[in-house]
Amino acid sequence: MLLEQLINGLTLGSIYAIVALGFTLVFGVLGIINMAHGEIFMIGAFIGVLVTSVLGLPLWIAFIAAIAVTALLGYMLERIALRPLRGKQGVSHLAPLISTIGVSILLENLSHHIFGAGNHPFRNSFAEIQIQIGSITIYIVQILIFVISIALMLILSYWLSKTKAGKALRATAENLETASLLGVNTKRTITTTVIIASALGGIAGILVGMAFNSVNPQMGLSMGLKGLAIIILGGMGNVKGAMAGGLLLGVAETMIVAYGDSGYRDAVAFITIIFVLLLRPQGLFGKNTSEAGR
Amino acid sequence: MLGELLNPYHLQIASFIMINIILGISIYITLSSGQLSLGNAGFMGIGAYTSALLTIHFELPIFIGVILGALVAGIFGILIGIPALRLSGVYLAIATLGFGEVIRVIFVNWESVTQGAVGLSGVPHLGRELFKTVTAMGFEPEMLGLRNNQVVYLMVLTLLVVINILLIWFFIRQNKSRVGRAFAAIKMDEKAAESMGINITYYKVLSFTQGALLAGFAGALYAHVMAYISPADFAYHRAIEILIFSVFGGSEVIWGAIFGATFMTILPEALRVISEYRYMIYGVILILMMAFRPQGIIDVSLLKWIKNMIKSRRRTDHGTGTKKHN
Repeated sequence: MLLEQLINGLTLGSIYAIVALGFTLVFGVLGIINMAHGEIFMIGAFIGVLVTSVLGLPLWIAFIAAIAVTALLGYMLERIALRPLRGKQGVSHLAPLISTIGVSILLENLSHHIFGAGNHPFRNSFAEIQIQIGSITIYIVQILIFVISIALMLILSYWLSKTKAGKALRATAENLETASLLGVNTKRTITTTVIIASALGGIAGILVGMAFNSVNPQMGLSMGLKGLAIIILGGMGNVKGAMAGGLLLGVAETMIVAYGDSGYRDAVAFITIIFVLLLRPQGLFGKNTSEAGR
Repeated sequence: MLGELLNPYHLQIASFIMINIILGISIYITLSSGQLSLGNAGFMGIGAYTSALLTIHFELPIFIGVILGALVAGIFGILIGIPALRLSGVYLAIATLGFGEVIRVIFVNWESVTQGAVGLSGVPHLGRELFKTVTAMGFEPEMLGLRNNQVVYLMVLTLLVVINILLIWFFIRQNKSRVGRAFAAIKMDEKAAESMGINITYYKVLSFTQGALLAGFAGALYAHVMAYISPADFAYHRAIEILIFSVFGGSEVIWGAIFGATFMTILPEALRVISEYRYMIYGVILILMMAFRPQGIIDVSLLKWIKNMIKSRRRTDHGTGTKKHN
């Protein structure tokens, strides 16, 4: 029982981690909270529904379609909502926040308009296949979700630490002006970051569709709020922190549902971060700098 | 004549504008000391539920309920404000957003008291209670040629307008006082303000608490104007809406919050004709706004311009003389 719950928790947590990675990449490079990330995630999930349930195509095409659409959304988000604000005189630090909130309102209501308010089933051919190991039941879907998430995290870590583009991204995150002086094309790096973050959101959307078999226009909001909580938990802009924080939150929520009061599931994330912020404002994995918490 | 002009629906919208102005001021006050709080929806909920529960279960007069609602929200403001001082910027925003979310989950789950997601109905209606009092004193709506419901909504609106005038007057005065200058100094540069001998802990908690108190007050009024409240009224969307009042209207001056609250309340009603698309338009407006006028519609220079235009005889600089936008 405990082990089964742990597996459920890790499955959920690995999706949370992917969502949080999108937040943390954008925050790390641009220093802003992308409030539209949850809605981009939701659009990714709907693309999954369209491709698999409506068009009846296989799952891998859903992944490709969702990545393509959300990457495009990310590009548009950067061009329309973020770039015009950058480097402009007299722009408060609130402006990009509000701007992305505008995008999130637009996307939520757009999908509400197109798809309707209700739940959409997300069908896949192997949703019911399960493996029995002793007394523990594991669904193939859970393994698949976990493997995809871990693979994504590994690829992202490799890309960030070893490739030239990844180094450019980290340099930009460290200091935009210095990176620019040293010959990094910061404009392109920023665009790439937002696109990758959005595509991660799109993949997470499909994973959630696979895990819960239902997709609705409101799911972006709660996922977005949890993603925010996770990046605080793991340390803002910290990639490893986002992964660990996501897994932790997934397990914690599953345990609350299994052994506590399921009604408080959505509060777990925020009660945790309120304590984290007060005791260790730089996050569980964050570096202790004077900037933390400022 | 008067009876035909007064449409209860329009009066109701006007009442909402008044409540939203209080909410707009509540976030303006915390922003004026450089703190971004997204917890005002939570404080609003605390005020609303406190006042509603007290008036339903203990049959307290609405006025006492509203005041207690505001006070309880204010106390929560102090409790949250003191630890939240360690945070600033985005961290404070997310922590307070989290606080609001926790409050909402408590409202949903504490069913024995709050009736959960169904919400509280049968909250005493401010207008009807006032109407009872007035008719008991021998007033008849026919004396003004009005229908009963017109009088009900008109009285609510009048009361709210009076409250708003008092509040705006108070905060304009405060902005020109020692407190307002301290807020502005902290907003400009916290460390410099501290080295000038300003007790930043005191003033930051003060501005946070004032915001919470006002939000709770607005929430309590909201409960008695709507006569029905549910946890969904005080969720994330409300928090964002309140933030938008101030940021859209202009977060540097109190008139910005007032204008933003008015405009943003009328806009969805005006767009009702194309109601299918109105929230999409709302989103587009926010994006365009940030791209072309990120400081908000009303800023210090626009106020100066207006002042020059009307060549007001009153010396009104709305206490913004100390603040220059960067």
